[in-house]
Amino acid sequence: MKQQILVLLFLICSLCVCVATFAQTSTTPGTKTKASRSNATSSDPASSEGEKRFQVNCGRCHNPPEELPPAATRAVVRHMRVRAMLSAEDEKLILEFLNP
Amino acid sequence: MMTIARFAGVFALTLLGFTTASAQSASPILSGGAGFFGASGGDNTFFQPVLAPVLAIPLGNNWLIESRADLREVVARQFGTSGPYQGTFFGTLEYLQLDYNANSHLTITAGRFLTPFGIFNERMSAIWINKFQDAPVIAAIGTAQGYSDGLMLRGAAISNSRYAVNYSAYFSTLSTIENLRSQRTAGGRVGVFIPGIRLEVGTSYQRKLQNQRMNSYGNDISWTSDRLPLEVKGEWAHSLSGHGYWIYAAYRLSQFGGGNSPIARLEPIVRMQQFFRSSRPVSGDSLPSTNVRLPGFGLNYYLPHEVRLNASYGRELVSRGTDVNQWEFGITYRFLFPLSRGDSR
Repeated sequence: MKQQILVLLFLICSLCVCVATFAQTSTTPGTKTKASRSNATSSDPASSEGEKRFQVNCGRCHNPPEELPPAATRAVVRHMRVRAMLSAEDEKLILEFLNP
Repeated sequence: MMTIARFAGVFALTLLGFTTASAQSASPILSGGAGFFGASGGDNTFFQPVLAPVLAIPLGNNWLIESRADLREVVARQFGTSGPYQGTFFGTLEYLQLDYNANSHLTITAGRFLTPFGIFNERMSAIWINKFQDAPVIAAIGTAQGYSDGLMLRGAAISNSRYAVNYSAYFSTLSTIENLRSQRTAGGRVGVFIPGIRLEVGTSYQRKLQNQRMNSYGNDISWTSDRLPLEVKGEWAHSLSGHGYWIYAAYRLSQFGGGNSPIARLEPIVRMQQFFRSSRPVSGDSLPSTNVRLPGFGLNYYLPHEVRLNASYGRELVSRGTDVNQWEFGITYRFLFPLSRGDSR
């Protein structure tokens, strides 16, 4: 009985999350960062190279984050430099792409 | 409850101290994932609310402190298949390390870190990254329970537009301290990544330097298509306990109806894994006691705002014993917050 209640609770929570997230998406203007816009183009060669390195390196392990607060980018890229074994040049270019 | 309070206290103090210390430089971040998982195999059903916070604190231009914990309550029947449901708390400090970027090609890491063997443990074990809820059947080979306490050198030995060679080499000491347990081991991994075709292959080695000394070695492959939303990953590993492999292919249906359509958010995954137990007994190796095959199918659904639903079915085919169906379902939320305003550049 308790098992069924837990499953039911899980399904209800999932449904609530689905409804809430879809509702938010349809009512708020897009706040996506550059990181999530895979088709973003830039005339700046350094930024373009940074975008390329971001897509190639970060996509090796996970989907890019939907939103990346500007204040968090430096810590995120430093963290990923260690995790993904990026070079200093990769770190610099990706940072320039995320925070032009 | 005491364990939860201790974890929360240490985490809060760390946050407070380092947020203040680094207020003038890059902002520390609190990231990670939260999830609720359920699984059913045979007559056993259990549920797990999980919180996996990640803390990253950059210090100056070259230093970084980073940490990840795994806090989960496992709710299961008292006697396996019968009795009332009861919860047991498990708290694991997965890594707490100090990194120093010595130069463009070398990072020196000290502390507790994820053992670099293959690709699953270091790169895919986070609950918001792992496409399946469970770890591969061979995950225990070469990883020394997943965590190491010691020193590690890592980085990109060569990095250019055509290829990159990355490496990690470490030594871990024996630790019997609760929540910081590790084995005396040494090892590393070398990988070659070709950005043009988004292919990486790697090879790993570990030498266990305590009790029943043994070598473990393995190979891994990771490929992401640049034309299709398709990725293929796999590992093969061998130790005295036996050998085995896992491989999966995941295809995100983002080509159907645009990036935000309901169908485009689906990601079917197919995984196959096998383990072949050797005849030599190795105690406490956390591997199946007999040969096992595990074909599986999963379905992820990516909701907006970093929420993911996942469900999977697998069939455990054992050479001696009864085959078992395994059902899993779950929801994960990935979060990321800067802890101060900091300097974004």
